Amino acid sequence: MNFALRIYRRLAEAFPHEFKLVYGTDIMQLGEDVVEEIARQHGVAGLIRLVADIAMRVPAEYLSEMRRDLRYAVRALIKSPGFALVGIISLGLGMGVTTSVFSKLWTQIFRDLPGAAHAKDLAMTQGPVSYYYIEQYRTQKSLFAGVAAVQSGVPFNVAFQGNGSAKPERVFGQLVSPDYFSVLGVEPQRGRVLSAGLDKPGDAPVVVITDRFWRNRLNSAPDALGQTLRLNGQLATIVGITAKNFNGILTPAELFVPLTVPAALAPELANDVLHKRDAKEFIPMMRLAPGVTLESAEAGLDAITRHIEEQDPSNPKRNDKSRRATLLAAGTVVPIPRAMKPVVLGFVGLLIGLILTIACMNLANMLLARGAARRKELAIRLAIGASRFRLIRQMLTEGILLAVLSGMAGFALAYWLAVLSSQLKQPSAVPTDFDSSVDWHAAVFTFALAIVCGIGFSLAPALQATRADVAPTLKEGAVVQLRGYRRFGMRNLLVVGQVAGSLMLLLITGFLVMGFSKSNNIQTRFDAHTMYLLSIDPVRDGYSSEKAQAFFEKLPERLKAVGGVRSIALSSQPPFSVMTGTVQLTAAQDPRETSESVKSVATETVGAGYFATLNEPMLAGREFEERDERTSGEGSKGLPLPVLLNESAARGLFGNGNAIGKRVTEDRKAYEVVGVVHDLTNGALADDTASVMYQPLTRRDFASPPAGGVTIMVRSDVGTDALGAVQREIASIDPNLAVFNMRTLADHMELSRAIMRLSVDTYGGIGVFGLVLAAIGLAGVTAYAVARRRKEIGIRMALGASKAQVLRLVLREGATLVAVGTVLGFLGAMAMVKILSALTSIFVDAFNVATNDPRLLVGAPLLLAALAMLACYIPARKSAKIDPIQALREE
Amino acid sequence: MPEIDPQSFLPLKTQWFHIMFSLAGGEQHGYGIMQEVLERTSGKVRLWPATLYGSFKRLIEAELIEESDERPAPELDDARRRYYRLTAFGRRVLDAECDRLQELVSAIRVKQAMNATS
Repeated sequence: MNFALRIYRRLAEAFPHEFKLVYGTDIMQLGEDVVEEIARQHGVAGLIRLVADIAMRVPAEYLSEMRRDLRYAVRALIKSPGFALVGIISLGLGMGVTTSVFSKLWTQIFRDLPGAAHAKDLAMTQGPVSYYYIEQYRTQKSLFAGVAAVQSGVPFNVAFQGNGSAKPERVFGQLVSPDYFSVLGVEPQRGRVLSAGLDKPGDAPVVVITDRFWRNRLNSAPDALGQTLRLNGQLATIVGITAKNFNGILTPAELFVPLTVPAALAPELANDVLHKRDAKEFIPMMRLAPGVTLESAEAGLDAITRHIEEQDPSNPKRNDKSRRATLLAAGTVVPIPRAMKPVVLGFVGLLIGLILTIACMNLANMLLARGAARRKELAIRLAIGASRFRLIRQMLTEGILLAVLSGMAGFALAYWLAVLSSQLKQPSAVPTDFDSSVDWHAAVFTFALAIVCGIGFSLAPALQATRADVAPTLKEGAVVQLRGYRRFGMRNLLVVGQVAGSLMLLLITGFLVMGFSKSNNIQTRFDAHTMYLLSIDPVRDGYSSEKAQAFFEKLPERLKAVGGVRSIALSSQPPFSVMTGTVQLTAAQDPRETSESVKSVATETVGAGYFATLNEPMLAGREFEERDERTSGEGSKGLPLPVLLNESAARGLFGNGNAIGKRVTEDRKAYEVVGVVHDLTNGALADDTASVMYQPLTRRDFASPPAGGVTIMVRSDVGTDALGAVQREIASIDPNLAVFNMRTLADHMELSRAIMRLSVDTYGGIGVFGLVLAAIGLAGVTAYAVARRRKEIGIRMALGASKAQVLRLVLREGATLVAVGTVLGFLGAMAMVKILSALTSIFVDAFNVATNDPRLLVGAPLLLAALAMLACYIPARKSAKIDPIQALREE
Repeated sequence: MPEIDPQSFLPLKTQWFHIMFSLAGGEQHGYGIMQEVLERTSGKVRLWPATLYGSFKRLIEAELIEESDERPAPELDDARRRYYRLTAFGRRVLDAECDRLQELVSAIRVKQAMNATS
C-alpha cells in the first residue's frame, strides 16, 4: 500500500505545472485519504487501478495543455496574418528547396535499389572488365554469392509484332548474364526472369521486360507473355515481366536481353567480345557472400585480379604494383564511391544549412521584434502565475506550428519541382530519367526539419521575451525598459549574420548563374534553325556490319543530291553535346627536348566535312575527308589515325609551334595531327578553353554505333523542307530504317540549355530569396528599434532635434549592421568559393568564369546594401512622424 | 460571451453526470463527491482521484461548475479542501440531461407496456 502511495505521489508530481498549481494538493490529499479504504475494499486490484488512473491522466493533461497551446498559437497566427504569411513563404521556400534536394539524394544515393533484395550486399567494380574476369570472379565462392555481367544503356530498335507497319522504336535496355536477376534478387511479377539454368547459348532469343515497358508500350496487354518482339530486327520472345518498381541497375532500362543471344540481335556482342580478354565491356555486379564485408571483398578481388593479370603475358600492366580493383556498394540507384559520400553530403549540407539558417534567423528576428511587442501580455501572464516554462512552451508551439505550415508549403513546392524536373527531357543519348519523386521519406524529413526549425528560430526569442522583469514592464506600459545600445546583442548579431548569409548566398548563386549562362552561350556562324539533326542506327535495324558500312559510305552522296541541302556530315553525336571522359595525350617526343608534354583532352568522333557543315574554317591543315572514314579505325599497321585538335589542345601540346604532321600518342595508340580548329564551346559546364581531340568516324563506328546512333547533320537553305526530303531519301534507300531524334540544331541546343536553365532559375531563385529575406529581416529590426526608442526620440524632438537628425540617428544603426554584414558576407562567400572549388570539380568552371566578373563582385554587395538601407528607411521614416507630446504623455 | 446551447453537452459523460448530480444538492468537495457517488450507486461507480480532478478542470473550463468561496458551517468545514458548485448554466445542462433521461425511460416504459399487451 505504501508502495502504491509512493508511485501515486510521484505521478501527481508529474502533472503539468498549471494543473498542479490548481489541483496538485487536492489530488495528493484525496489519494492519501482514499488509499486505505480502497486497499480494504478492492485489495491489490484497487491499488493498481488507483495508480493506473493517475498514470493515464498525466499524459492526458499534457495533451490537453498542448491542444490549448495549439489553439492559442492558431489564434495568434490568425491575429497577425502578415507575419504568418511572410513566415510561411520564407521558411516554406527554404524547406521546399531543402526537401527537393534531400529527395534527390535519398532516391539516388541512399535508398536501396527498388525491387532488389538485400541491396546492401551488392557491389560492383568501378570500371568495366572483360567477361573473362567475371568468369574468374564467379569461382570465388567464399567472397561472392554470385557475379553477374551487365552492360547498361544498350539501345534496341524494337518493333512490335502486333502493329507491324509501325516503325521500330528505340528502347534502352541492358545486356545481362542470365544470373543477373538471381544476383540482384529481383522477382518476376509475371512469367519468369532470366536464369543461368534456363537460358543457354544457342537457345531461341528471349527477353524480360520491365513493368514500365509492359504498361507504356504494350498497354498492359494480359497476353504479353509469349509474344515476340523484333529486337534489332531479330525475333525474341517475352518470357517475363519484372517486379513493379525495378528498372534496372546503373541506368534506367526497359528490357533485359541475355548475353546468350546471337550477335545479330545485339551488335555489342559482335567480334566474340565474350571471349576476348581485353574487351572491357561489362560491369561485374556482385552479391557478397554472407559475412563478407565490402573491404575484405575488395582486398580479395584485388588479389584475384592481380593473379589473372600476371598470368597474361600480353598485358602491359602485368607487373604494375598499383591497385587493380576498386569495389563500390551497388545497392543504390546511383552507386558512388564511398569516399564521395561525405563530400556530397558536405556540400549539400552546407547549402541546406545556409538556406535554412538564413530563413530561421529571419524568423527569429521577426519573433524577437514581436516578442518585444508582446512583453506586456507575457508579463501579465507571468504575474498571474503562468510559469516561464509554460510561456516558452507556448511560444515554441507557435514556432513549430508556423514551421509545420511552412513545411507543408515546402513539401508542395518540392513535389512540384519533382514533377517539373521529370518533365524535363534530358539531351543525353541514354535516358537518365530516374524516379526521383518525393516519397514519404521526404515527408518525414520535412516534418522533422520543421520541428527542428520551429524550435530553432523560436527558442532564443522566447527565452529573451520571457526574461522580462515583471514589475518594471507592467509599470512602464508597452514601452519596454531601455536596455541601452548593446553592441553584441543577439538581435544585432542576427542582423549581421543575416546580411552576411544572404550576401554569401547571393554571391555563390550569382557565380553559378553567371558561370552557367556564360558557358551556355553557344554561337554558331549560321542560323541554327537551318541545321537539321537526325539519327539512324542500321545495325540495330538488322544490318550486318558490312552492309552498314557500305550504307554509310554511299549515304552522304545520296543526301547531298537532295534539293535544298547545302551540306551533309556524319557524327557520332550531335554538335555541342556534353562530352564525357578524357584521355591523356602525349606529344611524341621531340629529339631535342627531354621533357614530353602531356595534356588531358576530351574526344569527339566526327565525320568528313563536319566543320564545313558547321561553317567553321580550319585554322591550319585539313579536316577529315571521306577516305578517312574508309579506315578500319584501329590506327594500326604503322599508319597512325589522323586526328584534329582544337586550339587549346594544340597549344597545350605543342606550344605555339606548328602542330600539323606531329604525332601524339594515347596509351598504345598513335595519331597524326592533320588539322587544327577553333575552340568550340560545347554548351556544357566545361569552361571554354577545354581541349578537344577530334577522331574520324570510321568503319568500326558504323559497324557498332554509339548509344545515340550515327547523327546526320544536314545544313539546308532557308525556307526549304530539307528534313522531309532527306527523310524521303533515306526511306527510298531502305523503308525499314528507323530514323530517330529528329530536330533542328536550335531545338537540340535549347534542350541542352533547359537543364542549365532550370539550375540557373533555381540558384537565381535561391539568391533572390535570400535577398528578400534579408530585407524583411532588416525592416523588422528597424521597425522594432524605432518602436523601442519612441520615448527617447520624443525627448530628442522635444529638445529641438530636427526630423532629419532623428532619421539619421535611426538609420545609422542599421547602416552599421549592414556594413559589417556585407564585409563578413563578402569574405565568407570568397572562402566558400575556395572551399567548394577544392572540394569538388563540379563548380570550378562556373566559378572561374564568374569570380572575375566585376558586375557581380561589386554589384551584389551594392544591391544588397541598397535594398537593406531601403528596408531600414521605410520603418525609420516612422520615427520622424513621432509626435513628441504624445510619446512623452504615454508615460 | 455567446450563449451555448445546453443540448450540445448531451448526453453527458458518466463522470460528469455523477459529479454534477452530486453538486445539485449544494457545494461539495472532491472527497465528498466521491463518497456520495459511491453510496448512491451502492459502490458500483467509483470516481478515481485523477479522473475526478481532470473532470473538474474540464467542467470548469466548460463553465458547468465553479469553485465556491462560500463555506459550509464551520463544524463541517474541511479547510484544506476546495469546494465546487454548479453554475446556473450547469444547472440548466443538468436539467436538460434529466429531461432526456426521463424521456428515455418513459419511451422504454411505453414499449414494455406495448410488448406486455400484445
